[in-house]
Amino acid sequence: MTKGSIEVKVKFGGMMAIALLLMCCFAIATHAAEINVPATVPAGSGLTIPSSGSGSATLYVAGPGTAIKRTVQLGREIRLGADELQNAGRYVVSLDGNTATFFVTAGPVQSIAFLARPSRVPADTPNVITGTAFVFDKYQNLVLQPQPVKFELTANGQTTSRTETTKNGVAFAKLDSSKKQGPAQFVASSGPASVRRVVQEVASDPCSIRMTAVRDKNGILARTDPIHDCAGNPVSDGTIVTFTSTDAKGKSTVDARIRQGIAEAELPASNDATISVASGVVVGNEIQWRGGQ
Amino acid sequence: MRAIFSAVLTLAALAVGAMVFPTPPSVLAASTPSIAISVEHATPREIEETTQKSLARDYATAWQAMTESLDQNRADLISANFIGTASDKLTATIHEQTKAGLHQHITDQGHSVDAVFYSPEGSAIELHDTAHLQIDVMDGSKVVHSENATVHYVVLLTAAENSWKVRVLEAVPGF
Repeated sequence: MTKGSIEVKVKFGGMMAIALLLMCCFAIATHAAEINVPATVPAGSGLTIPSSGSGSATLYVAGPGTAIKRTVQLGREIRLGADELQNAGRYVVSLDGNTATFFVTAGPVQSIAFLARPSRVPADTPNVITGTAFVFDKYQNLVLQPQPVKFELTANGQTTSRTETTKNGVAFAKLDSSKKQGPAQFVASSGPASVRRVVQEVASDPCSIRMTAVRDKNGILARTDPIHDCAGNPVSDGTIVTFTSTDAKGKSTVDARIRQGIAEAELPASNDATISVASGVVVGNEIQWRGGQ
Repeated sequence: MRAIFSAVLTLAALAVGAMVFPTPPSVLAASTPSIAISVEHATPREIEETTQKSLARDYATAWQAMTESLDQNRADLISANFIGTASDKLTATIHEQTKAGLHQHITDQGHSVDAVFYSPEGSAIELHDTAHLQIDVMDGSKVVHSENATVHYVVLLTAAENSWKVRVLEAVPGF
């Protein structure tokens, strides 16, 4: 091999190397082309991604509920179906080494998750019933755009309603219980979605207690009049009423449950006793029992 | 000549490979992420200290379970920490990943969490989570996407028997 031919070969080799590096740079520049996707896409609406170049490449999509690996033809539009973009959240698209991200956002309200508490409340009490509503679209995505939610409480033909606007997908309301006891329909609605719960409104604490006492073959029979709350509702059967008799021998206490609206108790016989009655924080009348009357 | 050509080609291939398919960092996905929770903005009910602690514990465990399940494509790992919609969607992700031969390697670098809603009866909490994540989308052993991302999540947790479970986990562009 002559010196001249070696120089030619070295020069040829150098040129080849430069050409190869240029090709690599070109390839990298081609790969660096951006994937054009919108910043946000409504849930369930699909997406078309334009592509350039020729030949085939592998498309990857990773998102909530989605993982796609698909061979696509470069130079053609790439279609992501509506069923592939139903879940709200962040999606990553990778094509031929290029990547992009976009967000799928929730659609219109289609359903409500409604928490109504408590299931049993005293009647005629302010701010005792709470309702919390989370609003979702038809793909069970939390709808984060502000939405009106109507809370409606109906009991004994009377309706109380309040409309609140969701914040971060949730709205809540506190409502008063109605004057009269009975089942109340508690409804939360937004757009086409509506959810109903039943809240049992019961009489609250007794308003006052009045009792009478009579001699009994075993002692003294103390009995209340029908017991009502301050709204006139009969206090629930099962509520405890405490009768107390105090005399020279000491104190006798009987806890009795209200049955059919009244409570009664048999106290020990005594010739000189003070009889009192109470339920919760409410104290009833007092009877001075003298000489057996 | 052939040796020079081969060497240049190898170097070029390595350079391109390094740029297109970077190696994922080797961090244990199993570690519990750090969760810093602020509860000052929670309404309408205040969050008690014990609730705040259990929330941080359960949310961290949920993220640990999620990163492991997405990496190993194991839906059985999520049932203890996810419920309802979040569970369904995570299960669907794992199912689709398995079908496509993909998985995600997420290195959790910590969460800054703001509690924004605590329901009056105390059964639901909503969080705004700013998560710092290293995300690698893998096709088998090949990295097809790698990024260091700050991702915002709206999270809804509901009280279960003795823990908080994630019911909604949605990434959003911002708060």
